[in-house]
Amino acid sequence: MTGRAVVLACLGLVGIAWRPAATQRFTIGPQAVLVDYREVSSGLRYSGAGFGGLATARYRKFSAAAAVVRLTLDPTSQSTAGAGFTATQVDAWVAYDVASYASLEVGLIRRTADPEFDAQSMGAVRIGARSAYDLGLGATVSFRANYLAAPQFSGGGRAAFSLELGLGLDVRLAGRLHGVIDYAFERVNRKTDPGGTGEISAPIQQTLARVGLGIGF
Amino acid sequence: MRARPGVLVSLLFALAPAPGGAQALQNATLRRAQQAYENLEYRQALSLGRSALRERLAGGERARAYELVGFSYAALDSILKSVDAFKQVVLIDPERQLDPNRVSPKAYSAFDVALRQVLLVRQLRIDSTGFVAGQGAVPIRFMVTQPARVVTRAIGQRNFLVDSSAWNGQVNLGWSPRLPNGDPVPAGTYTIVVEARLGQNTFSASQQIRVLHGTVDTLPHLTSLPGYQYLPETEIPPQTWRPLGLAFLYTGGAAIGTLGLESGSLGASSQRELAVAGAAALVTGLVMTLRKPAPRPAEGNILYNRLLTEQIARRNADIAKENVTRRQQVQLTVVPLKSGAPR
Repeated sequence: MTGRAVVLACLGLVGIAWRPAATQRFTIGPQAVLVDYREVSSGLRYSGAGFGGLATARYRKFSAAAAVVRLTLDPTSQSTAGAGFTATQVDAWVAYDVASYASLEVGLIRRTADPEFDAQSMGAVRIGARSAYDLGLGATVSFRANYLAAPQFSGGGRAAFSLELGLGLDVRLAGRLHGVIDYAFERVNRKTDPGGTGEISAPIQQTLARVGLGIGF
Repeated sequence: MRARPGVLVSLLFALAPAPGGAQALQNATLRRAQQAYENLEYRQALSLGRSALRERLAGGERARAYELVGFSYAALDSILKSVDAFKQVVLIDPERQLDPNRVSPKAYSAFDVALRQVLLVRQLRIDSTGFVAGQGAVPIRFMVTQPARVVTRAIGQRNFLVDSSAWNGQVNLGWSPRLPNGDPVPAGTYTIVVEARLGQNTFSASQQIRVLHGTVDTLPHLTSLPGYQYLPETEIPPQTWRPLGLAFLYTGGAAIGTLGLESGSLGASSQRELAVAGAAALVTGLVMTLRKPAPRPAEGNILYNRLLTEQIARRNADIAKENVTRRQQVQLTVVPLKSGAPR
């Protein structure tokens, strides 16, 4: 795709975004991401940024969301790690509204690291709930808590206790254009038994902030 | 009883109130009698008045002569003769009235007695009116001076019996101008004839009316009900700190959760990501708090407006139905014409 085509596509999206829509059932948009990742001990600290995209859909009491981000993480100044890595994280949720302000949700998370053994790749099923309130016209704040069930790790191990908390904000900026900010804190109490010498704790903790735009259709 | 030209005579009397007004009289003897009465020479007035009655007089002057005689007899305390003279006056002019403020009580009482001793139908009045055929009546008023059988008819292209009853004094009747089949009477001129009969005595009076046909006005449709107005269907809620409070609550929940779940072995986590999202939520909450609240539907007003709309629609449906009926109706207008001569 040439640069001119990209510019035209962007202008078209902006034009669509400024048009108001009576009911917006789908949104899609790009995101910039900030991330902090820790693993095993306080010595393995990474910090980074990335980009990605978010798509949401709503049908009656059902809603769904999917996000893909590409992260570049580098060791922090306090880190003992020698090199950074990149990761791709895929998140998905399907929710059902049980009240005007509360919904139950299920989903999945999958994060893959590259190079493969520089960090744990993991996948899990989400089970949780979300509460959302309108702050005013076109602004919604939400809080979610997900249990990460049946986690799988590229390095093996298990995690009996894994939680993810999230804070979300959706603000309609103009017409179809939304501003979307999302915070996620993930804590995985991973335990592993390397070499059969007994289980050791190898926790994983990640904080992630997404800042993006969404265009409603 | 013989017919008398009462209407013209009434007019003459009205223009020259008795017992004054000698200058309008043509007959010289009557003029002199009038002059004598005005000079309080009642005997001379009586003599001249009786002399005048023996002369050839027009109806109005004859009535005036009898009236002068009646007044003079009353002034001379000959009440019975005064009553006799006044009887002649009302027979000539049944509509004749005396003003109690201008004539002596003796003369007025003699006139009143005379009225009650003669069978008359007086003051026949039919007012202009208009109504939908079948829903109104033509008002007919008259006075019968003695108890009598009174037959009231409307005579036009066809004859209609309005009433036949025994009456005395003031009578108020209504004539519903309809044919036997219920249709309105044809438009045209009708004469209302009131005939009173007491033994051999009869007296009648008449009044002409004109009956006009017209269309009945239809009702305009309503766009609103008087006294009831539509209310605004949205209302602006009062400004509250709720948005900022909610933003604090949710951000605080995320912050407390983050701090509580942080692993001790991994050290304190970076707060950068939480700061970005939390600050955005708090700023949004503050902006929403400070912003004028968005209008929200006023359920009560919406229900009220719906009821009002339904009520207006129901009324308009009734009006439409009423208009269909009205278009099939006939508006009758009744206008009195000149009075007929009493007989």
